[in-house]
Amino acid sequence: MAETATQVERLDPLEPIPVLAGRPGDRELNDQLFLPVWQQTRRGWLALFAITSSLAGLLVLAVSYTVATGIGVWGNNIPVGWAFDIINFVWWIGIGHAGTLISAILLLFQQRWRTSINRFAEAMTLFAVMQALIFPALHTGRPWFDFWLFPYPSTLGLWPNFKSPLMWDVFAVNTYFLVSLMFWYVGLLPDLAALRDTSKKRAARIAYGIFALGWRGSARHWRHYRIAYLLLAGISTPLVLSVHSVVSFDFAVSLLPGWHTTIFPPYFVAGAIFSGFAMVLTLVIPARKVFGFEGVITAKHLENMAKVMLATGLMVSYGYALEHFNAWYSGDHFESFLFFHTRQAGPYAPVYWLMIFCNVLVPQIFWWKKARQSIWTLWIASILVNVGMWTERFVIIVISLHRDFLPSSWAMYYPTLVDWSIYVGTLGMFGTLFLLFLRFVPSVSASEVKELRRELDHEAHARAAH
Amino acid sequence: MASYVLGEFQEEAALCAAARRLRELGFAGLDAHSPVPIHGVDEALGLKRSPVPLIGLVGMLLGGGGAYLMQWWMNAVDYSINVGGRPPQSAPAFIPVTFESAVLVASVFIVGGLFALAGFPRLHHPVFEVEAFRTACVDGFWLSAEVEAPRAEAAAEEMRRLGARNVSRVDGEEA
Repeated sequence: MAETATQVERLDPLEPIPVLAGRPGDRELNDQLFLPVWQQTRRGWLALFAITSSLAGLLVLAVSYTVATGIGVWGNNIPVGWAFDIINFVWWIGIGHAGTLISAILLLFQQRWRTSINRFAEAMTLFAVMQALIFPALHTGRPWFDFWLFPYPSTLGLWPNFKSPLMWDVFAVNTYFLVSLMFWYVGLLPDLAALRDTSKKRAARIAYGIFALGWRGSARHWRHYRIAYLLLAGISTPLVLSVHSVVSFDFAVSLLPGWHTTIFPPYFVAGAIFSGFAMVLTLVIPARKVFGFEGVITAKHLENMAKVMLATGLMVSYGYALEHFNAWYSGDHFESFLFFHTRQAGPYAPVYWLMIFCNVLVPQIFWWKKARQSIWTLWIASILVNVGMWTERFVIIVISLHRDFLPSSWAMYYPTLVDWSIYVGTLGMFGTLFLLFLRFVPSVSASEVKELRRELDHEAHARAAH
Repeated sequence: MASYVLGEFQEEAALCAAARRLRELGFAGLDAHSPVPIHGVDEALGLKRSPVPLIGLVGMLLGGGGAYLMQWWMNAVDYSINVGGRPPQSAPAFIPVTFESAVLVASVFIVGGLFALAGFPRLHHPVFEVEAFRTACVDGFWLSAEVEAPRAEAAAEEMRRLGARNVSRVDGEEA
């Protein structure tokens, strides 16, 4: 597997790795990128779909059981009042962030390598945020009253308390979901129209035609479209930074040792991007292989993502270091106890050391070009980082809560079967949605790759003219 | 009764040149259709700048301002809550929701503005009557002219002269 990936770029070691292999024509690109949509459903896809949709079924069961019985079926209880629900919420939201980073921030920085992976990453964002939303919605205890979270004139005569970070979260996460959805859908329009126009069957033509909304590549539309897309990217950029900052306020605004730190917002954002890029790699590596997208998602993309992971991994490590420094520098007894005793030697110490291994040590491998270009190393490292970022949230939430100020109120937290079922269920739901996306929507934006090809042609011309 | 005349060109430059030529000849309802945005086609068709940024700005101001006023009215006026001794109207605490709402409403305005300006959703359009037009979102570069029926032949003739293939005419129902 490693050979096929390096074949493309090892033809001449002095030539830089291309962001697009060859110069495929427009029709050729469409044929290649739409193939997963038009070809027969594959056995492998069906097998994966069977697994993920069964797990999604488990999610439905576990959620129904939780709602019908009450959240006492979860393992969390005072003092560990937040556990799997918030860990998974933060983990999923964090994963979503790389999608927005790739599609919005890298667009503004005109990073060409974003073009072939942005659709993929945005879909990941959407589906991850959907999973994330399940957790706080259930954690309210009575999810049928969740509409109380929104400010609407009610007969109760009450308004939400906008000085609470939890209220900020409601606005941040819902805004994030809606804006990501609009950004993704607007980006899809030209490809949906191309799907409508390349469809062989009437049903597909009608279905894609409805979603394409009547897009006909009109110059009168393109001029609004391009600026709208750019503006959405522009406002998504501060949005993505704000969302995880707001999520971190849920913790940082409290007084608990392990939560009460000013480093939290940037450290959370870096962690989010770190885990998100890991998830993109975890998903994109098998997908490009299966669909034969190696010419569009080249080793250059994978290598760049590895570099981003290295950089954000270092930021996360710096966050850990600074947390510990602050605990020591504050001279606060409770802070020191948490950071220099409970974490390393407490009952959950293995989770802490696993976090250090996965998030601090593993990304260091990407200093080596060989590691950045080896498919297997990338894939395994990306999974380890996903694990590491999950354990980080466990460390922050459970370890901080289970040893607070009063030893008499210390207690352990153990997840129940329902906790695990919901978590594994969201993985299944995420996988299900992602597989449906891969099957019915082109996972690489054909219209943007066509534009990229023109830009590259233009540049090659300019270079030849010199 | 308006008719549509369509012609397909080999590449972007030819399409732009043809658009410019037809506009000089006095054809008004011109449009270009292409799988990617074409550099220079806006000038060729004489299109003005898009108002989408302004619409977005209005949305952002309405969203942000509205959210701040909402929080102030709800938490400081209508049902004043004392949280940790902070003032009822606590600007720093109101910033996150103000910002998020500004972003949300701006996005809704941008996307809504795009849809309204482009007339989406419009599932049927006379240009879709031409089967060959199905390349417009794939690899074809099309010029369309909405003309009065008597001038349709002249437009078609001109397009053919400029090197268009698949020149077709759709006689509009309502247009």
